[in-house]
Amino acid sequence: MTDTPAVYPTDPFDPAALNAAEGLDPVDPAYAQVLRVATALNLIPLAIGASVFDYMLVRHIEGPYGLITALAWLVAIIVILTFPSRRVSRWGYKIGDGQLRVARGWLFRTDTIVPFVRVQHIDVGQGPVERWFGLSHLIVHTSGTHNSTVTLPGLPADLAAAMRETIRRHIQTDFA
Amino acid sequence: MTDTAAAAAAPIIDDEVNWQRLHPATLALAIVKLGPRSLNFLPAVAALGFTGNWVWIVPAILAFLLFSLVAAWLHWLRFRFLVGDDEVVIESGVLSRQHRTIPFDRIQDVSIEQGLVSRALGIAKVGFETGAGGKENDAGLDAIALDAAQALRTTIRAHRSGEVAAVAASDTPDAPPVAEDRLLFAMTPRQLLLAGLFNFSLAALAVVGAGMQFFDNLLPFKFNIFNPMDWADVAEDYGLDQWLLSHRWVAGIGAAMSLLLIGFASGIATMFFANWDFRLTREPRTLRRTRGLTTRTDVAVPVRRVQAAILVTGWFRQRFGWHELRLQSLASDGEKERDHQVVPFAQLESIDPVLAEVAITRPEGDAAWQQSHRIIALGGLVGALGASVGGLVAVSFGQALGWFGPVVGILIGTASLFGARFHRWTDLGEQVAIRRGFWKPKLTLLPHASVQSVDLKSDFILRPLGLATLVFGVPGGSSLASHEIPAIPIATARELRDRILTARARA
Repeated sequence: MTDTPAVYPTDPFDPAALNAAEGLDPVDPAYAQVLRVATALNLIPLAIGASVFDYMLVRHIEGPYGLITALAWLVAIIVILTFPSRRVSRWGYKIGDGQLRVARGWLFRTDTIVPFVRVQHIDVGQGPVERWFGLSHLIVHTSGTHNSTVTLPGLPADLAAAMRETIRRHIQTDFA
Repeated sequence: MTDTAAAAAAPIIDDEVNWQRLHPATLALAIVKLGPRSLNFLPAVAALGFTGNWVWIVPAILAFLLFSLVAAWLHWLRFRFLVGDDEVVIESGVLSRQHRTIPFDRIQDVSIEQGLVSRALGIAKVGFETGAGGKENDAGLDAIALDAAQALRTTIRAHRSGEVAAVAASDTPDAPPVAEDRLLFAMTPRQLLLAGLFNFSLAALAVVGAGMQFFDNLLPFKFNIFNPMDWADVAEDYGLDQWLLSHRWVAGIGAAMSLLLIGFASGIATMFFANWDFRLTREPRTLRRTRGLTTRTDVAVPVRRVQAAILVTGWFRQRFGWHELRLQSLASDGEKERDHQVVPFAQLESIDPVLAEVAITRPEGDAAWQQSHRIIALGGLVGALGASVGGLVAVSFGQALGWFGPVVGILIGTASLFGARFHRWTDLGEQVAIRRGFWKPKLTLLPHASVQSVDLKSDFILRPLGLATLVFGVPGGSSLASHEIPAIPIATARELRDRILTARARA
């Protein structure tokens, strides 16, 4: 096997490890708050559902009432508090050299490169939660069937606009 | 409003007058299409029968027919199209109107298709491939006169090659384009027969078998080809039964023979129906393919839109050097196929000229192929394990059918272990060649310039092994089967990615 000694920190859970090793810039840490709100919006209804289930059913069959409710809320709170910042630290991007590079994920890591000249069109989007934290996301469309859209979330709104301009200039010069 | 082939062929100058309708024979086609559709009506008829209202059945069927015909006629009446100087305008819809404008510039490909009935009526279905995602977004004219369809295609093609800009609109648009057409590949009936023999398929067998079971009591003769006893009965008629009973294996051979016969016959039949009079011609800007026995299709693949070439063969036919060539283009081929089959069955030396037309070369025999890591068998092995465990659990519950699980599991496991050895790739400078599969070897030739984006993927299994998977974003093709090089050393993957992305855009 290839036993090349690692030049970067080997702790795979070190947030800086992957991005630093691959020369990527991190996304805005405030994106963790956006993810947190999104996660909360997903999980809290589930936890409420579990509580209702507990109240309606488990109590009637004289099961261990309260166990499911407690567990559901515990898991939801832990996930909401810890996971978003961890997920955000796995996102990385690099713009320059005529190409946009976006990396995401750790368990299944995908590192995508889109040359500017291959970009069909660009979206800069902002959801209500993102607006609250002054963030935007950049969506790059290519003509490939695989990767027809590449999304980079967690950018400060002005940076996203600047990146859009950079990419747009390249598209224009390509056609000139 | 008159509707003649000549009017359809003529270029349009006055927008108000030149709206055209579909060919009136389309209505006849609608009647033919009514056949399968009336199946929907069967439950209603059955309900009438069961409730004893027999007298109402005939009026109900008549009302259904009348309603369908009026609907078809209304559709025909409310569908009109206009061929402008540089665009096609289509208006359709009975209640909600739809107005669609397709500029000639955006039409990648004009296909002409004729079914059996359409051929008898001299009409053809025209499809415009715009490269827009989704089948429902592709516009079409179903159907207009064949010569009008061909004239329309010539007009659009001439426009795309920039001629329309030069000539006045009053010129005849169906003047032939500049360079002459050249026949690249054709299939003679002999070749078709050979191809059909290699096309041996037992898929039809399932259908025949199911039919035999289903119609067993309805058939005038009592004979099931899968039942050896029936073969023994046949032998009895010839006074051979005593001999046969002492040589039971003959009955087995009889069954096997009929299996083979069905397999070969269905292979040959599908080949003949699909590829009869197959012709691939090189036209100034496109490769044009016409084929089909009952349903004739006429498809043009713009040469500059070809993104990748795929050479498919089989483990058996490979030994005789037979291959099939498909081209991946922005537009898709028909309903099911995502690639354009441009050579159905040929030796490599006949395929090479076609590849040369799209500026793609085959790797030489001495190309340095590199292997993917064997770890790619893992997915299949996990599946095999799942099947085995599931089956054994079923067995432990006393379900004898559960033994099926381990057997299938072992088969899947062996196949994925064995198949993992056939994942190879090589970089040819201008293009990447990816080879995979043992049962159906597939060689993908992907020019660097077609690649729109590259994913470098690794996960918790590949990363400790220092491996990564490269996935290429290429226009066209299926979104399910993207081009990828699985499990190669991560340094190699990075280097290859950089090399591919520096390639110039394919025009």
